[in-house]
Amino acid sequence: MALSSKQLLQNLLEVTRENLNLAENLKKQPIDFLNWKQSKESWSVLECIEHLNRYGDFYIPEITKRINTSKHKHSEVFKSNWLGTYFSKSVSYNENLNKMKTFKSMNPLNSSLNSQTLEKFISQQHQIIELLDKSKDVSLDKTKTAISISKFIKLRLGDTLRVLIYHNERHIMQAEKTLRKAIS
Amino acid sequence: MNPISKLIDKISNENLWDKEIRLERNDYLKVKGSIDTNIYLVKSGSLRIFVVDEYEEHTIRFGYKNNLIASLDSFLSEEPSELHIQALKKTTLKVINKKSYTSFMDSSLENKKLWLDILEAFVLQQMEREIDILTSSPVERYNRVLKRSPQLFQEIPSKYIASYLRMTPETLSRIKKY
Repeated sequence: MALSSKQLLQNLLEVTRENLNLAENLKKQPIDFLNWKQSKESWSVLECIEHLNRYGDFYIPEITKRINTSKHKHSEVFKSNWLGTYFSKSVSYNENLNKMKTFKSMNPLNSSLNSQTLEKFISQQHQIIELLDKSKDVSLDKTKTAISISKFIKLRLGDTLRVLIYHNERHIMQAEKTLRKAIS
Repeated sequence: MNPISKLIDKISNENLWDKEIRLERNDYLKVKGSIDTNIYLVKSGSLRIFVVDEYEEHTIRFGYKNNLIASLDSFLSEEPSELHIQALKKTTLKVINKKSYTSFMDSSLENKKLWLDILEAFVLQQMEREIDILTSSPVERYNRVLKRSPQLFQEIPSKYIASYLRMTPETLSRIKKY
């Protein structure tokens, strides 16, 4: 898959903008709705957000470091490889949410959460917007980043950004669905 | 009738608006780094345009009922722009995309003239704004803006007006009392 870097970043900015807006609206909801869960094993709204914050804690510093030290200048075209496409597809939102196993360290189940959880997520979205802006100056395929689930794999920056942001979208949508059930 | 109201009427009469967008308070219409070549008409509510420099936000412009707003840099260049646009309250907008807008402009000399009038008025406003920013006295800055746009002080929360005037909210409230 190849597409223009400009187009990819524009798309990721738009998804991040939507994620940010949904989070701003979650902030206006009563805390009881945000902590409500359908069953013992399912996640509350805030648990969905906490899960994303934990990924953000890994990826945001990692991406920042790689952009700052990248020696590869901006390139017009971004080419994803099969691995990047596989990862970003598997974490993306789709209507029938495919079940995925959550890594233990990333599982927020029953952690104690409050409005700070949402504040943190919102602040991370602003950091991601900054990173997308900085990414314009470097090559999205020659700049590589580590990933959270394996020490042996590196992804192209463009793919890492897709994984991070589509994963955010996936669980923000899950949080929205949970909220609608909590209200009804 | 001012050129902007005339333009809005013409676009509405020809049914050129693409769609309506609803934003909740604090929702972003545009974020830094994105390309946005639309022009928006504010039907209700209010918005602010700002840039972020290190950790500080600087308010550049506001939009409220019956104003047109756009990321004009992106609109003209079709390139990414630094501007953020955020709703300050529940806001409804109508949207026209650049392509329809341009073909509307190109369809008659009268329309072209109207667009030129609007751009000229905008250049004059930008020059006023440049003088605002270079004015060193906060009281003087306040007076200039109050005289030019009294409505602003009714529509927009003072913390954003303070940012627009390049002063702290405390200074603004002191000047207002005085």
